[in-house]
Amino acid sequence: MSLGRVLRNTTLAVLALLWLVPTWLLVVNALVPATSYSGSPHWLPQDFGLFDNMSQAWDKANLGPALGNSLVYAVVSAVAAAVLAGFAAFATVVMPVRRQAVWFWVIYSGTLLPLQVFLRPLFLSYAHTSLYDTQIGLVLIYTAIAIPFAFFVMRNYTLTLPREVVEAARIDGASWWRVYWQIHVPLTRSAMIAVFVFQFVAVWNDLMFGITMVTSRNIRPVMAALADLQGNYSNVGPPVVLAGALLVSLPTLLLFFSAQRFFVSSLKIHR
Amino acid sequence: MSTSLTDRHPPTAAGGTAAPRRTKRRTPLGGSRHGLRERLMAGGFMAPAVLLVALFLLAPFVWTIYRSFFGDSRTSPFSWFDNYTLFASDPALSRSIENTLLWVVGTVALPFVLGLAIACLTDSSRFSRLARLCVVLPYALSGSAVAVVWNFMLTTDGAVNQVLTNLGLGSLTQGWLLTWPGNTLVMILANAWQATGVAVILFLVGLQSIPPETLEAGALDGATGWQQFRHIVLPQLRPVSIIVIGMSLVNGLKSFDLIWVLTQGGPGRATETLAVSMYNETFLELRPGAGAAIAVVLTVIVLAASWLYLRRQLDVKGV
Repeated sequence: MSLGRVLRNTTLAVLALLWLVPTWLLVVNALVPATSYSGSPHWLPQDFGLFDNMSQAWDKANLGPALGNSLVYAVVSAVAAAVLAGFAAFATVVMPVRRQAVWFWVIYSGTLLPLQVFLRPLFLSYAHTSLYDTQIGLVLIYTAIAIPFAFFVMRNYTLTLPREVVEAARIDGASWWRVYWQIHVPLTRSAMIAVFVFQFVAVWNDLMFGITMVTSRNIRPVMAALADLQGNYSNVGPPVVLAGALLVSLPTLLLFFSAQRFFVSSLKIHR
Repeated sequence: MSTSLTDRHPPTAAGGTAAPRRTKRRTPLGGSRHGLRERLMAGGFMAPAVLLVALFLLAPFVWTIYRSFFGDSRTSPFSWFDNYTLFASDPALSRSIENTLLWVVGTVALPFVLGLAIACLTDSSRFSRLARLCVVLPYALSGSAVAVVWNFMLTTDGAVNQVLTNLGLGSLTQGWLLTWPGNTLVMILANAWQATGVAVILFLVGLQSIPPETLEAGALDGATGWQQFRHIVLPQLRPVSIIVIGMSLVNGLKSFDLIWVLTQGGPGRATETLAVSMYNETFLELRPGAGAAIAVVLTVIVLAASWLYLRRQLDVKGV
């Protein structure tokens, strides 16, 4: 092995170890039974209290409803965004629409703005209507926020498709509706899945709307519950908080490992 | 939405120009015979997306701009640019601007340099892939979960102080999240811990797209390792670099979860960035005018930053 290679692998090993330390401590200390936590971080696993810690976190922060809510929010809004953005992309690229550039910017501009800009007006109008602190209210917001970027991806993907297939189907007398569901959707399936994965993760990880648009513990999404748990850090103890963090991260971790291909393609679509 | 679409379509009886203009369009799919119906149909396909975006994003955006010109006293009088002058007069907001600048520099430089280094150092060996996984893994955590992990590292009886004490460096132990600018800097490090994974993945994709012939040609001409990297690899990574920089820039400007869960912008208001200040002013200090002004300023900065990589995207895709 050449010197260069040794140097290279050493650097890499050092970096990787540095990166691993917080992850390692997260797992090890989430395993330590809360009652035997000594006050300073453990570096080696001892005993197995993970499930006890998780169930404590579950009780203290009402994680049950929060997890259920977030699952609903993430799945429904990611699917809705993919479908609605798919509609719009199909219309602006394939169907005869005038001023395509205008419609593109109307929909796409939403993704350029920071979410803080929407926060208070949405809060006020939700408070005036009956949407504040409801599940449907959050789903609507998450869907609307997801649409612009989903549209961008779907549109770029649609532009790469051959037009002949759709044209042939139209000449054979298929309606637009049928063309969309039977020809266009199967063709754009991979882009739709990438959009779904991307938006699922974005909604699951959202904190800001979760703490602004919701007060009750039965409606709030999972990251708001985690922030609440973290607020009780000194009461419940580090092992419980860390176990809670691990628990709420499981879906995205699972998705990350099982759908790494789509994770990567959902990153590449930034281009 | 469909009505506005048809409004713009001039009635053929009145406007003789409509027909030739229509033939110039690039979508002739049977449109000439059933022009109106086709457009209505297309409008129907676009309507849900356009309505949701207009109602939930664009209208609130306009309202926030409007609101930023009104004061925060009881009657909310029109106050010109008073809310914007707060950036000069309010020390909490000046600090917020300083922090935002620190975040911008830190979130761009760290993931970029570390991501590039790690992507270049690794190859297809099993050891490399394992090392890479360690770096990419935190990317699968949410900002809030990252905050929980780093709180555990950084609290007074946390892991960092423990390590320092055990290494005999007890004098260096401190409340990492308590004093400025240290608290902002460690949060930027925590952010880099999470965000570098994306940069690694993107740089790997970029590296794979470099044709090996260019490297071979360089080696034949006697380029050393560093020269190869500097003059052959780096220029070809330019497109990916722009994406990485643009993405980290915008994500850094928008980052809220990490700061909120770790410090809520405190102690005092020392660790706020603009994204957090907006929330604090609006919902905790109950000064919605000031909050709206911060949101608008943040928007301007984010738009300017987005322009960096947007320009390229839109050039390629040709809107």
